Formats: sequence, structure tokens, C-alpha cells
Amino acid sequence: MGLGLLASRAIRPFNSGSRFLLRTIVSKPELQSPESSAAAADASPEPDLPPRTPVGGARVHFTNPEDAIEVFVDGYPVKIPKGMTVLQACEVAGVDIPRFCYHSRLSIAGNCRMCLVEVEKSPKPVASCAMPALPGMKIKTDTPVAKKAREGVMEFLLMNHPLDCPICDQGGECDLQDQSMAFGSDRGRFTEMKRSVVDKNLGPLVKTVMTRCIQCTRCVRFASEVAGVQDLGILGRGSGEEIGTYVEKLMTSELSGNVIDICPVGALTSKPFAFKARNWELKGTETIDVTDAVGSNIRIDSRGPEVMRILPRLNEDINEEWISDKTRFCYDGLKRQRLNDPMIRGADGRFKVVSWRDALAIVAEVAHQVKPEEIVGIAGKLSDAESMMALKDFLNRMGSNNVWCEGTGTQPNADLRSGYIMNTSISGLEKADVFLLVGTQPRVEAAMVNARINKTVRANNAKVGYIGLETDFNYDCQHLGTGPNTLKEIAEGRHPFFSAISNAKNPVIIVGAGVFEREDKDAIFSVVETIAKKGNVVRPDWNGLNVLLHNAAQAAALDLGLVPESSNSIESAKFVYLMGADDVNLDKLPDDAFIVYQGHHGDRGVYRANVILPASAFSEKEGTYENTEGCAQQTLPAVPTVGDARDDWKTIRALSEVAGVRLPYDTLGGIRSRMRTVAPNLLQVDEREPATFGHSLKPEVAQKLNPAPFKSAVENFYMTDAITRASKIMAQCSASLLKK
Amino acid sequence: MKKKKKNYKEEKQRRERERERERDGVDSGEERIEGDQRERSGYLLARAQRRRLLLTHCNYVFIMFFRRCLPDGNLLQTKLHNIGAKLVGVDKFGNKYYEKLGNTQYGRHRWVEYAEKSRYNASQVPAEWHGWLHFITDHTGDEASPILKYYLISCLLMLKPKRYGIEHKENLSGEGDEYIYHSKGHTLNPGQRDWSRYQPWQPTKAE
Repeated sequence: MGLGLLASRAIRPFNSGSRFLLRTIVSKPELQSPESSAAAADASPEPDLPPRTPVGGARVHFTNPEDAIEVFVDGYPVKIPKGMTVLQACEVAGVDIPRFCYHSRLSIAGNCRMCLVEVEKSPKPVASCAMPALPGMKIKTDTPVAKKAREGVMEFLLMNHPLDCPICDQGGECDLQDQSMAFGSDRGRFTEMKRSVVDKNLGPLVKTVMTRCIQCTRCVRFASEVAGVQDLGILGRGSGEEIGTYVEKLMTSELSGNVIDICPVGALTSKPFAFKARNWELKGTETIDVTDAVGSNIRIDSRGPEVMRILPRLNEDINEEWISDKTRFCYDGLKRQRLNDPMIRGADGRFKVVSWRDALAIVAEVAHQVKPEEIVGIAGKLSDAESMMALKDFLNRMGSNNVWCEGTGTQPNADLRSGYIMNTSISGLEKADVFLLVGTQPRVEAAMVNARINKTVRANNAKVGYIGLETDFNYDCQHLGTGPNTLKEIAEGRHPFFSAISNAKNPVIIVGAGVFEREDKDAIFSVVETIAKKGNVVRPDWNGLNVLLHNAAQAAALDLGLVPESSNSIESAKFVYLMGADDVNLDKLPDDAFIVYQGHHGDRGVYRANVILPASAFSEKEGTYENTEGCAQQTLPAVPTVGDARDDWKTIRALSEVAGVRLPYDTLGGIRSRMRTVAPNLLQVDEREPATFGHSLKPEVAQKLNPAPFKSAVENFYMTDAITRASKIMAQCSASLLKK
Repeated sequence: MKKKKKNYKEEKQRRERERERERDGVDSGEERIEGDQRERSGYLLARAQRRRLLLTHCNYVFIMFFRRCLPDGNLLQTKLHNIGAKLVGVDKFGNKYYEKLGNTQYGRHRWVEYAEKSRYNASQVPAEWHGWLHFITDHTGDEASPILKYYLISCLLMLKPKRYGIEHKENLSGEGDEYIYHSKGHTLNPGQRDWSRYQPWQPTKAE
């Protein structure tokens, strides 16, 4: 007899309490048959369970306390509002029900049958996603009946699913893979041939391996309900069922990348990411997108110094859980055309790589040679608030105040914050019932805002009127006119749409930031304010007057007061500091002007530059960005900077010292405390700061309306800034998806 | 190559014929003396001349063979060792492999005479002969393996996978800076892998 055995025999009598813990797992014949075990479960007394935490922080919001009903999930009582499904009740009770077709943001299909649960007094297991919870319902989620039902469903699903997990891009983050670990059989009974399906071409972004599809129809519902395009559908019945586009057609939606995320299997995967990396190799960094003014919350997945992919992050107030294709697939632009060394243009017109010391010395010397009022600074559309603050401070210390951010026009109105932000807030748009879009095409300017409008149109039957050039909308929209004259008609009450606004409960007017570039912008804004006043758009409980900005830097630039002193400063400029500004019109600039381009991409701005200073892109720096609704958010560095590049504000800080006008901050904390004195809302991270004063404080304007139609601000949705213009994927998209 | 062999064969045959004739001459000398004396003396003269020539030739060969041995005792020992040993094979670099089973200490019965006479080292033995030389296998580098012979595959040499098996290269350490081995990531490796994951902007392109 071994010593161990002896010892265990000696210990056992003293340790009788631990017998429960050491109990082996056995399967008894009575547990195999569902009926008898259910009877056994009935007989046992209700266990006193500790309260559980809801799945994924699910919250219960009772609009009316009388509507609360009580159901029992595995014997644990839980209070839920009326109209919730059994699955939602289980989530509140802290039980995660396996599912494939159910998605909380899409309509209920109930076709995968994976969420079967047992309900007392129900003859069959019920699909919990489609069954409304009734008062006093006794739901059992872990009984042998439920388990056996799910195992059966899983076996049928795996029948026609290929066993190619090792070569599948979804491997490691696949719902089917995960759930088959719990409900899959260890052996197959299927001996026939597996079904195979022809792959569909959905364009340059979404890769399809349709044999892997389990027909959950999430992508079909997403396309029609969220993206608002009727591109996808189901063809055939039974084993011949296929997801497809009926006829060979690309998916022409600016949100098409989201079907990759919602697909529970590897049928729809990312084409640019195909076979590039495995998801467990990647490091995720939670940051902010800067390709438009929405500031979608994203997670940058990187491997080493390389951004491998971009995924959305849940933020109910901004992007829910979707992101636009530009946000998702612009990342390959971060690896191309990068500026990695300071360069100076020599006498022969060629760029020569120099050290930072030489580059800064030359810039400082030239800056001192010109008159202070001939110095101009322009911030780019991707600049963070810290750098813009440093740029403004530096130029002010040099004696100039000609500093602005591109896209805000020459005479931006930065006095009233309500005049340039989205006062309703993005999530507030869901309460609206009438929209008036003035010179804005939200589908290309801010795809996530457009998705929100689409959601509202779908849910509330909201009416949408649009003034501007002919364009596509993915929801019902009334095209009222093309120019400010239509706006004037509405303001004077002559247009039929005026009655729609005045009769609406929560009307919303959205003015595009393209209007900022017009000469008569003050007149247009005063007409819009007249409509708002007459239509009761701005009330104490509702502010429906919005401006939709285009660029990530705009709101912060206006908050920080980046307003040029004179509107024609560029014509007399001798020293121009471009901080990533590529789209600014430099035609009127004198030929002898000295241009410093500080940026991360060799884009339009470098071609006239005399000195190039490399900077870091948004994925490489920590910076504050304010989105169009006035919510400040911060990016975090996901990957190291390239070459010799430095953060924008650090370069300006170093330059100020070389130029002899040292800025008083050395750290990000220092620069933020400087920002606090200018725009304290930029430090309220992840919080929307509404505008304090309304439009009523605005002085009267004596401008005349120009009847010229509103121009479209974004020519190509896929290529709007230096990063997206450098991206190959975006070039493919604009070649294949925008071709008419 | 063939022509050379042919020449060699012809020469061999010629020499054999001569030797036979010589032997015949010695054996049947008595009869010949009885015959034409003059003819006989001429024959002897020719024989002596031929013998001298042969001796010079041998001398030459001896010098050529053993000249290298004068500064290199190691080579001399190998050469002496070779006497009476069996030449098992010659590899593609010209290294000769010898074996002597009797009258040798077991474990020292296989050796190589390097083709390179001045700077030889063990890394000059190619992989296919290494096994034979180090008593790992009894199959020589150019021999057909008895198992594979059945499939008419001529063995170790052929076994080397064509697709990724690279040509044998001797170790050139100490032969100069250009031969120093640098790993793939080493700065001095000329084919060093570029680990930067971005494309820099090229200013010349813009012009």
C-alpha cells in the first residue's frame, strides 16, 4: 500500500465536508432522458442562488414602473419591463444564451434555433430570442432538455459547415467555433457529402467564403436595416439556401465592413486582412477615429510596428457598434507615403535629408526674417487639439495671429459654440421626426450620422428634406431644391416643407460645414436661424439646430479660437506653416513664400514645401479630438512613430525654443493645462459638452444671399485626407464602388 | 572526357603490350641470340632507353606526388597510409576516400585525402560522404543504397531533396572578411531583411 493512499485514508474521515467538492461528474441513465430529469428538478427545492451580474453590463431601463414583470430564470427571480424577450430576460439575469442569428441591433429572425431554452408548461423548447417574456414565466436554461436541443441544432449546423478553422480568418473569434466547444459532439454521424456554395463578389472590402455560411441572415438584415441598401438577400430554400446579391453586384454601402463583424462565422471576412495575421497575435489599442468629424470609437489591432486592422468599439452615443468603411480600411494608408526624416529643399529644387537641428534652425531663421504679419499658420484636418494650441501659441509669440484650421473658411464664427457643433447630439437625432438637411450629404460627410438618421427614419417614420445638389440617400428623402433660394422660401413660410417643420414635435435642421466656405455663409445661417425660430426648432428642452462638421480637427480648432486675423492673409504671406494642411488653397500665395510642411504623409502639401518636418499620425500619438457634437475624446498610441518623426506639438515646442520664443510647456500635461484656460471642455474627455449660449445672441447680418447652389463638400467618400489618399484599399474602393 | 578515357585506355593497352613483349624478350632471349646479333643489340638498346624513360617518368610522378609532402607531414602520412588501401570513391570535389580493412586499427580504417592540398579541413567533406567517413553508414556517397536500388534510385546523392537541398559549401571562416557568416538579421549581412513596415515618401518621385 502506497504512502499516498495511506495518507488519504487517514485524512478522509476528518475531511468529510470536502466530499462535495471532490465529487466526480457522472452521467446517470435518469439524467439522459429529459422527462425524468425535469421531474427530478421539479422535486428538488428552489436553490437559494446568489444574485448574478447581467451579461455584458446589460441595463434595464423601466420607462413605466407598472410595466415591470417578474420572470424566473433558473429559479432566480428577475424584474424586466414588458415586451422583452426571453433571451433579454436571461441576459438581465446573468445567463448568456448561445445564439447565431439574434443581434440586439437588428430585427429578430429566429432562424438559427441555437437559443432554445426550456420553459415550464411549454411542450417544446422555445427559441428564446423570438419569444416574449410573460409574467411568471419559469425559464430553464441549463436543463438537459435545453442542452440536448442545442446539441441537435449544433449538429445540424456543423453538417454543412466546412472543417477549415485552421485556414479561416475568423478562427479564434468565431461564434460557431466557441459554441461548438460547449454544444458540439466529439464525433460526427454525418457521412454524406457536404454542401458547397459558390463565393460571391461583394467588392474590394468583404471577402466571402459562402460554404461557411450558416444562413443566420444577420448580414441581410444589417444591409437593409442599418446600411439601408437592399443589396443582400436569400435565394433558394432548404439546403439550396444561399445568401447573395441575386445578380452579380457589389455591395455599395459605406458601412459594408460591418457585416464582417456581425457574421458569426467566417463566411464574410475582411479582404484586406485576409491571411495577414491571427487575431490572438494582435495588440488592441482603444482609440478614436479621425477620418471624419464623428470621432467613432475604434480599436486599433497592431502587431509590432504595424497596424493590422481597425475594429469598432461600442459607444452608444456616437457610433453604436458600427464604423464606416473609410474608418475601418484606411489603415494601409498609415504604412505608405510616410515622411520619416526632416528634409530641406536645396537650390536645385530637390529635397535633402537633414538633421532636426538644421531643419529647425533654418525654419527659425526664416521666421525671424519676415514681418510678423506675414507669418501664417494653417492646421490640417487631422490635427489634434494639443498641437493646434501649440501652433497658435507659437505664432502669437512670433507676433502673428493668422492661424486657422483648413475647412473652416476664412472668417469662421468661433464666438458662439452653438454655431458650429451638433447641438442635438448624435444620439439625440433618434428623437427627431423631421430633418432638414441644408447643403450637407451626411452619407459621405459623416456616415455614422447618416446611419443614425436612417435608424430614426426607419423607427419614427421621420420626414427628411434636403437642399443641395442631387445625391443618393439610403432612406426616403424629399429633394426640396439646390440653393439658398429654397431655404429662403421655407423661412418665409412659402414652401410646403415649412409646415412639416412647424408641425413636428422634434424638428432637426442640419447645416453642412461646406457652407463655411461660402461667401454668404452669415446670410445663410441667419436664414436658417429664422426657420429655427419660426419652426420652434430651438426650445429649452430641444435644440434641433445643428452644424455637421467634416474634419476631426475642426471643432477643437474653433473651440481653441484658431481664427485668422485677416481674411486675405494668405495673399501677403511670406512664411507659411502648414501643420498637416493638404487641402488648403495655396494658389494665391506669393511665389517667394517660404513654406514649412509638418505632417506624416507626402501628400499635396509637400509639393510646394521648402522644409518638411515629419510628424506622427493619429495611430502613433496621444491627442485630444473633439467630434462634431462637441464630445472631446483622446487617441492613444497603438504603434511606434516611423523614422525620425515626432509629435506635432513637440516639434513646435522645440521650434519655439530655437526661435527664441520658448513655449512654457514641456509635457502633454502642461499643454493640457494651457488648453484648460482656453477651452476647458476639451479636457472633459468622453463627455459631451453642450453649447452654453444659443443663436439668439448673434448680431444681425447685412449680407446678401447668393443664389448659387450648395456644392458637395466631399467629392470622393473614400479619399478625403492624407491617410486615406495614401491608402491602396481606398483607391480600389473609389475605383470600383464609385464608378458610375 | 570520353576521349581522354579512350586515350588512357589506349595507353594502358600499349603499355601492356610492351611489357608483354619485354617479358617475351627476356624469356626467349636464348633463341634470339642465336639469331641476328645485331638485331638483338638494337633491341637491348631500345629497351634500356625505354627503361630510363620509364624511370624518369616514375621519378617525375614521384616528385609530383610527394613534393607537397615535404612541408606537410600530415599529407605524407596519408600518402603512405594510402599504399595498399582501397580507393572507395571520389566525390565531386575530387576528395578521395580510402578504406583499409586489414592491418589497421579499427576506427581508423576510413580516411580521406583532400583534393585541396594546401588548405584542407574537415568541412570540405560533403554531407553524402560524411556518413561513410564517420562510420555512421556503410553506404558511400555515390553508392546505391541496397533498399533503394530496388527502385533504381541511386541513393544518398539522389536522396538529397532537389527543391531545397543546397550545394555543399565548405566553411570559409578565417578566409577573409567577405566570408564571415552573418545571420539574416545582422547589419553586415548583405541580404539583410528589411524590418521597417512602412514605405517612406520618395522626394524624387515628386519632382
